[in-house]
Order: sequence, then structure tokens, then C-alpha cells
Amino acid sequence: MAYGSKFVGGVTPGKSGQEVLGLPIFDTVFEAKKQLHPDATMIFVPPPFAADAILESEDAGIPLIICITEGIPLMDMLEVSRVMKQSKTSRLIGPNCPGVITPEACKIGIMPGYIHKKGSIGIISRSGTLTYEAVWQTTQNGLGQTTCVGIGGDPLNGTHFIDVLEKLERDPETKGIFMIGEIGGHAEEETSDWIKKNSSKPIGAFIAGVTAPPGRRMGHAGAIISGGKGTAQAKRSALKSVGVFVAESPADIGATMLKAMKG
Amino acid sequence: MHTHEYQAKQLLEKYGIPIPPFGVAATLGEAEHIIERLGLNRAIVKIQVHAGGRGKAGGVKYAKSRDEILEVCKKLIGMTMVNNQTGPRGMSAHQVLITEPVDIAREYYLGVVIDRERGLPLLIASPKGGIAIEEESSENILQLPIEISGTIRPYQLTRLSNFMGWKGREGGKIAQAMARAFVKIDADLLEINPLVKTPDGKIWALDAKLSIDDNALFRQEQMASLFDPTQMSKSEVAAKQSDLAYVSLEGDIGCMVNGAGLAMATMDIIHHYGGKPANFLDVGGGASTEKVATGCKIILSDPEVQAILVNIFGGIMNCATIAKGIVSAAHELEIRVPLIVRLEGTNMQQGRQILDRSHLKMIIATGMADAAKKAVASIKSG
Repeated sequence: MAYGSKFVGGVTPGKSGQEVLGLPIFDTVFEAKKQLHPDATMIFVPPPFAADAILESEDAGIPLIICITEGIPLMDMLEVSRVMKQSKTSRLIGPNCPGVITPEACKIGIMPGYIHKKGSIGIISRSGTLTYEAVWQTTQNGLGQTTCVGIGGDPLNGTHFIDVLEKLERDPETKGIFMIGEIGGHAEEETSDWIKKNSSKPIGAFIAGVTAPPGRRMGHAGAIISGGKGTAQAKRSALKSVGVFVAESPADIGATMLKAMKG
Repeated sequence: MHTHEYQAKQLLEKYGIPIPPFGVAATLGEAEHIIERLGLNRAIVKIQVHAGGRGKAGGVKYAKSRDEILEVCKKLIGMTMVNNQTGPRGMSAHQVLITEPVDIAREYYLGVVIDRERGLPLLIASPKGGIAIEEESSENILQLPIEISGTIRPYQLTRLSNFMGWKGREGGKIAQAMARAFVKIDADLLEINPLVKTPDGKIWALDAKLSIDDNALFRQEQMASLFDPTQMSKSEVAAKQSDLAYVSLEGDIGCMVNGAGLAMATMDIIHHYGGKPANFLDVGGGASTEKVATGCKIILSDPEVQAILVNIFGGIMNCATIAKGIVSAAHELEIRVPLIVRLEGTNMQQGRQILDRSHLKMIIATGMADAAKKAVASIKSG
């Protein structure tokens, strides 16, 4: 709220009628929707009930659902994925993500606002704090950001790199894009295919986990090299092969994006 | 969370999957009881560890007599297996599984995993069981998406049976039981390899592998109780108990970072500058001073560690909290190695002040590259 985002209320079952930070609290998302007509909701509900909160928000027709929660069981996310894929009203970002920020406009998430600077780079990331690193470097080298979207570190999530790329491609303020990926799954490989066919803007990337051992979950539920698949090397190759500028070191993210912008 | 073969088999038995009679022994005395109870004069003895490749490592042996069974148990109980699945320190077998051998006519593979792309459980089947499924060519593998409920439809069971060359319904029933179990217990991997048919047509599951989704342990009490701390390093057990994400590696630069992506990137950049990370450690967003202190202590207790790199970009995690945690750990344990600290983000100034006031010897770094270079240099200078 201190950043300027227009929060209008909250939902906590059993706490209807109370006020927090001067905003009304409701028992259910349905009641909140009826009274306040929110465009978005940010979910911090603990893992045992987070999926339920996402499903409730979708059922209530909230257009944008951002779930910060880490630790939602896989089985729960199977059902959430199924519902969100078919949803006619709502998009889910996350779970296990830091949220979304458009500098100087709106912040729905846990990122430190002050490191951001309004500029020209769209950032899409599976990570949280590694995203802040990318933001900090692009702020310091003057590029700045248009919108930063954390898609989260879980194997099943609501929004793919491609979903965000499609929007950033159409955004006139976004002149370049930076992707932060990591080991596990093949979102980055699928994204490379999309980039080959559809991308017109310069893209930089960093893939974390070049040194990660196989078969171990590296913190994020989605960060695991399984049966030899999902390595950082494979993702880097796929992205390089379609013209993405891939940073060799996380300290070179800003410099890599500058290089990509120069073409 | 990994489980042992015997635990996976006990579970599958509950779901009606045929398992040859077996027992689990941690001592020779227990082995003798099992031999009595099952009336064994031949047996297969298998070490129980949380890794595969046991056969190749000499952890699976066939014994032709009662005495030989005991001899084999003597060798295998307490055996340490080292391969690319166990990590360099290896895993020790505190127990062995003893079972009657079965005559094998055909071997099959059946497994259930989560398909990330489809967002569904996936049954994987091959009529070429017994060997590594990853090496099998795709024409020998059938992949069947399963409904989230765990139900495999009759038409899918027909397809499966035809593909596997099964005549009766038993194979399909086993696949269905596996799918139901998988969903019910929040598994992320359930494998039977091999599932065998004997010369007289009986079907048995000869080996089973089961892993439970860590995120679901809070609602799977029975599964959670199967946790075997002996299969992890002491550091990893301590970390799990404090709810810290920690992976032991082979190097000498200990790392403490907030955020898994940043932690992986920190390992990567240490490597980039010629160093070797000793561990992955994510203290997480909401960590308390105590949790940070525990993380520090875990790293300090690793004898391989020659330097510690703390890389924090505070968002929800507060730099002051990190600083207090480091100071607290330093009061309990001597920090006998160079400590390189890079703080950025929320409450950075406060964090730096707390560290300065502690008079702890440390090297302050200004960015990730600076931190990694200094960490690597601190080891070279000895």
C-alpha cells in the first residue's frame, strides 16, 4: 500500500466486519467481490488451504489471482491447473512467486519497491530474490523496468513464460525482455520455440543451476533435474539457439541486457 | 521424501498388489527369525538404502542355503553404497530385505509420476522391465495420462494390457491400484520395476520405489513417519528439522542465501570464479534470527568448509535479521573460517551496523561477483 497500489480490502474466514489498515475484511471472496469489485487478489494463505483460496477466487471471477504461497501440495495444484486452464474469467500467477510490479504504478507482491525504476525492460522470472538481482542491475545501468512478473518456482503454475512474453511483445513501452529460468521441467525450451516464431524484441536470459547436482530438489519444488532432463545447460542451449543473449554469470545480467539491446 | 523398498512394498500390499513374502532385518538375529518364519532355504537379500543401482554396487545377493543367507546378511547389513545417486559420502544400509526368489519368465515396468506439461498423473508402462527406463526407446514405452482422481478408464486398461501383452485382467488391476495409491498418499513417484510374470503365470512386484511429495507431508502423517534420517547427512537432517532447504555438495565454500534461485545462482557464480560450493542453503523469506543462526551452525559444522559466503538480497527477508542470526551463531560456535558477507535490499544499513558493532571478523562484499571473488581468494590465501 505504501508503494501506491490501490488495495481495497481483505478476506479472512471468520474475521468479517473487522478492519485492517483501514480496509474492510470479509469472510469470503464472494462477499468481497460483491462489495468492492476488485481487479486482482493477492493470496498469502498457508499451504494447506492455499489451493482452496485460489479456487474460491476463480469461482468468484476475480480477473487476476496472484498466489505468493510456497509449499502447496502437487495434487492440489493438479486440480487448480485444470480449473485455471479452463477459466473464462481469471488468470493465476504463481504459486510460490514474489508477485507482479509495474514500477511507479502498481505493486502486488513482496518485492522491495525501491530497487525498481520505471524503464524499458520486461522481466519474467521463476525466482524471487534472483529477480531482485536482475532488477537492481537493470536499474543501476539505466535500463529500468516496465513490468516484472514472477511466475514462481513450482512445477505446476498458472502462468508460463510464453503467456507473459505474448503480453510484453504487444506492450509498446517494453523495448527488451529478460528471462530468469532455472533447472527443472522444460518451460525454457518451450519458450525458445515460441521465441523463434514470434519474437521481435531483444531478449536476455539467465538460467540458474548450472552447478546443481542431478536428482536433488534445489529449494523450489520445480527445480529438479530428473532422469537427465531439465538441466541448465540444455535450457541455455535452447535459448541461445534462437538468438537469446544468455548471461554467463548472475552478476552479468544487466550487462547482458545492454548487449541484447544493442543487438 | 524418499522411502525404502520395504516400506513401498508394505504400502503396495495394502492396495492389493502381490508382493512375494519378505522380512526386514537389522541384525543377524532378526534375519534368523525371518528365515524361520518364511521357511527359507534360498533367498534374495537386498540392502535398504534411498538410492538405486544397488545390484551393480553389490547390494543385492542371491543365497542358496540357510547359512549362505546369514553370511550374505552379515556382509550387507551396514554396507555403505557409493554411486552417482548416493553422493560422494554414500549411503549406509542399516537394514536388509530378505525374500524368497521367484522364477522370472517376463519382466515389465510400471510407474506413476506427475506430468508437469499435462498437469495430470501419468502412468508409464513398458513390456521391457528390469532395466533403466530412461534408456528405453519410446516405441517400448506407453504413457497414459490418468484422471486426477486416480481412476484409469476401462478403455485405457485395454490399451495397456494389449501393449504389455497381458492376457488376463490382473496386470490392469495392479496398474489401477498403483494409480489409486499414488493419488491417495500424495506420491510424486511410484515405480514397480520389475513387475514379473512367473513361468506358471503368477504376477509379482519384485521391486518398488516410492517418493512422497514433500509439500504434502503435513497431511500424510503415516507416510511422514517413514522418514529415515540415517539416509541423509547429519547436516541435511538438522536442516530438515529446522525447515531449511539444504543440499550437501562436495566443495569448500559454504553458502547461505535467501531464495532458491539466488542460492543456485550463488553456487553458479562461485564456480564461475573457480571455487567449489560446499552446499546449497536457502534460509527463505520469513526466516527468524534462530533459523538463520541454525543455518550458520549447520554450515560451520561441515569440516570441508574453508570459507562462508552469505549472499542476501532482502525483500521479505530483513538484512537486520540475517545480521542478528550470524552474530548469534558466532557467539555459540567460533567462526574459524573467512566470512564474506554481501547484504542488499531491505534494512541493508541496519544489517551492516549490527555486523560492524559485533566486531566479528568478516569481509564485506558489494555485489555477487565481488562476494564470489573474495570467497575464492580467501581460500587460496589459506
